[in-house]
Amino acid sequence: MNNDLLTLAPLITVVVGAIAVLVSDMITPNRNHAPVAVALAALGATAALLINQGGSSASALGGSYVAGPFVAFIGLLGISIVAITLLIAPAYLAARKYPTAELSATLLFALAGAILLGAATDLVTLFVGLELMVIPGYVLAGYAKRDPLSTEGAVKYFLLGSFSSAILLFGIVVLWGVAGTASLSGIATALASGKANAGLAVALALITTGSAFKIAAVPFHYWTPDAYQGSPTPITGYLSVGPKVGAFVLLIKLFVIALAPLAALWIPVMVVLAAATMTLGNLVALTQSNVKRMLAYSSIAHTGYLMVGIVAAGAGEAAGIAGVLFYAAAYAFMNLGAFAFLTALQGRPGATTQLSDLAGLGRKHPRMAILAAIFLLSLTGIPPTAGFFAKTYVILAAVQAGGPATILAVIAVLNAAIAAFYYLRVIVYLFMRDPAEPAVQVAEGPMLRAGLLIAAIGTVALGLAPTPIIEAVIQALAK
Amino acid sequence: MPILSLIIFAPLLGALGIAFLPSSRPSLIRFAALGVSLVTFALSLGMLLGIRGQSGEFAFSEQLSWIPSFGITYHLGVDGLSGALVVLTTLLSWICILASFGPIQTRVKEYFISFLILETGMLGVFLSLDLFLFYIFWEIVLVPMYLIIGIWGGADRIYATIKFVLYTLVGSLLMLVAILATAFSHQAATGSWTGAFDLLALRGTITDPTLQILGFAAFALAFAIKVPMFPFHTWLPDAHVQAPTAGSVILAGVLLKLGGYGFIRFAIPLFPDGAHLFAPLMIVLSVIAIIYGALVAIVQTDLKKLIAYSSVSHMGFVTLGIFTFNQQGVDGAILQMLNHGLITSGLFLLVGIGYERTHDREIAKMGGWAVRTPVYAALFGFFLFASVGLPGLSGFAGEFLVLLGAFIVNPMIAGASTFVMILAAVYLLYMYQRVFTGPLSPFLKSLGAKLTDVTPTEILTLAPLAALIVVFGVMPTLLTSSFAKSVETFLMSAISVVGQ
Repeated sequence: MNNDLLTLAPLITVVVGAIAVLVSDMITPNRNHAPVAVALAALGATAALLINQGGSSASALGGSYVAGPFVAFIGLLGISIVAITLLIAPAYLAARKYPTAELSATLLFALAGAILLGAATDLVTLFVGLELMVIPGYVLAGYAKRDPLSTEGAVKYFLLGSFSSAILLFGIVVLWGVAGTASLSGIATALASGKANAGLAVALALITTGSAFKIAAVPFHYWTPDAYQGSPTPITGYLSVGPKVGAFVLLIKLFVIALAPLAALWIPVMVVLAAATMTLGNLVALTQSNVKRMLAYSSIAHTGYLMVGIVAAGAGEAAGIAGVLFYAAAYAFMNLGAFAFLTALQGRPGATTQLSDLAGLGRKHPRMAILAAIFLLSLTGIPPTAGFFAKTYVILAAVQAGGPATILAVIAVLNAAIAAFYYLRVIVYLFMRDPAEPAVQVAEGPMLRAGLLIAAIGTVALGLAPTPIIEAVIQALAK
Repeated sequence: MPILSLIIFAPLLGALGIAFLPSSRPSLIRFAALGVSLVTFALSLGMLLGIRGQSGEFAFSEQLSWIPSFGITYHLGVDGLSGALVVLTTLLSWICILASFGPIQTRVKEYFISFLILETGMLGVFLSLDLFLFYIFWEIVLVPMYLIIGIWGGADRIYATIKFVLYTLVGSLLMLVAILATAFSHQAATGSWTGAFDLLALRGTITDPTLQILGFAAFALAFAIKVPMFPFHTWLPDAHVQAPTAGSVILAGVLLKLGGYGFIRFAIPLFPDGAHLFAPLMIVLSVIAIIYGALVAIVQTDLKKLIAYSSVSHMGFVTLGIFTFNQQGVDGAILQMLNHGLITSGLFLLVGIGYERTHDREIAKMGGWAVRTPVYAALFGFFLFASVGLPGLSGFAGEFLVLLGAFIVNPMIAGASTFVMILAAVYLLYMYQRVFTGPLSPFLKSLGAKLTDVTPTEILTLAPLAALIVVFGVMPTLLTSSFAKSVETFLMSAISVVGQ
């Protein structure tokens, strides 16, 4: 029991941190910075514990929670995502008179879900982790409760989210019944020796559908643009990164580990979904004139690129998972950076994020515009940025896997060219158009600046010197 | 001393330094940029002198581990071919920076920073021997060029610059897939990532026939768009017309050469069998480009567009020469690259000088310019005759050798291409006659005293080009001997590897 508590220490720390945030808010209500400070302290402690556990393979809860490098990687990535969100959100929320304590606590609960997801070795823990991660997301989407758009987005997100959870859960239960075990590796063993049957087909169909909803793959993506556009901008940044990374951990565990013996069945489906996801996401993003909505659609496209890695992993390439993890890290920094930039533009309530609002920003606020350009170039995949190396990594895995994965790789790079059009169009507005009248106000407090800077450093460092992260990723998978 | 790294990163360091200069002092920024580019030029000249003394295929090699998980290294090296192109780049860079002193009056700091980053990217492409490193520099070139056309270009600049980037990206992204496939095939064959991205380790080892064909196709598409070969040339006239003068010069002088260089250094040595398979197609497309470019140039009404199309025609000789796979053809192709870099750059500079005074490039509005500005007219005439291919000036030797090489392969092709030398004379001389001879046109007359002759600074930008055109025209062997070893290696590496 004592050992269990030690193994679960990171998870417990996050939850205790979340409660501490709420308690501190009760003691000194309506303070904006205190809850964030408490949350950041909890994040720091959790990070230390995770790093400390990075080399171990201790298990807890009867073997359904296994610590180790994989959890450490997912946990640290989650901590970075939450930390950047906590740095960029307070000023935006304060200007609109929304509290930060609830945000801090909710994010920490979601992080606990992500850690549980990363550590899970059986279906039940996996599902609990998933729900613990996504339910805070519904709350956050409706954070601007006086804004009908935010409420609408949250309701859509919640309804489709719970609907898809139900489908997924149903599939998980059927799979459990067919395989006779809830353990992920046990399922793989059972499936490898057993024959295909109708129950398995149902399970596979339900799990695929449910997962596709969670990662917002086309044609299960309809909730994304509304949920993303309605939410407060920094929260949209979090929603476009955090739950997505979590959902891909789910995909890795379910498909690449448990359903590996059925790879021949799900790979073709995944290939079609991936191709449709990136192509449709990019084509619709092309037509958007609102930058926030454009980023929402482009996040659908990035889902498609991440799925390329899953396909490669299904075909037996370990580099596929490594590519997904690297991509997730790169995407977290560059996309949060882009949203941090949008947040800075929306310092005043009511400020919009139309493309035309960005005109001439390069002249009025050159530093901010250059940071934005770095994030956009990285999202496009131009070297030497994180986005370039991430794309290279998943494509490399796909080329190694061969067959349909290679065709997917070609579709992916052609999509990157489509994406270049709309990302570069933002740069056109930033640098090549005359300033808008009245000029957009940029609000950057020290915290927002720190968030932007962390995102920018991550984006550039992962591109110029990807080796440490590559090694962390490879180590995370070596077990 | 890592001289190649110094050459590549000197402009980037200069750009970083300039970033800290105050925007309120544009002339300080201008001279700082000029200084940086002159230092880089001097370094590259030093390198050129050193190449001959070095043994081995590549001189001044530098190799450092970069991403060891995939065997990606920071591998640089220079030979006669890349050495000549590096010096062309550093020469045109300082000329362009000097030529931008007058025309660029807005956002001076950003302009020169972009330009120096561009120089770093171009030099990196020529000096990389690791495919991954090469690809990174290849893509880095895009960004500053995108900004230079998009910010300091003409009225339709945004359309032109996006077209330029998208065309190039489509080609280069497919090349990335091919690079990764090549690296993986090496890893699969040897069981290790060591050398998987290294040009020298990969050359002659790709024996998978499918990879030979698809790999070549992907590389060739990227390079064909850059050269640009027919039918991928449509971005070029737009980009040239909208770019500021220095942008046009560097585009014609160096960026197009990245494509030709890519064929010689990467596409063909890595995928010789694919290259031989596609050679007939490449030759046909080259001949079409040569003739089509010249025919379209005849009917152009805009001076810059005329020279842009003449570039399509001239660059057709480069690809034609490369795909003859014989010494004359390849010698000629490389000569043509270098000479086109000198001559067309000069023509774009001259058009820019004229535009500074008239703010117009419409041929129909001109006439009798020589009456008012004899020196300008004479310089224009000089570069024009070099471009036509007048023997004694450098344009002649390259085209002549390419035709000789083509004749060995197929006399018909050589015959068809020879006609274009007449067409070139037609479109250039016809243009010269309309713009410079006859009575002064009402439009030019209306400019009055604004229509001044070339200034000493402008002569300073043109003089080095003119001098080199004469020197290399009289003694083309100065150049051919400098890259003879590169051509020899190239021809050896262009021999089939599949089925041996």
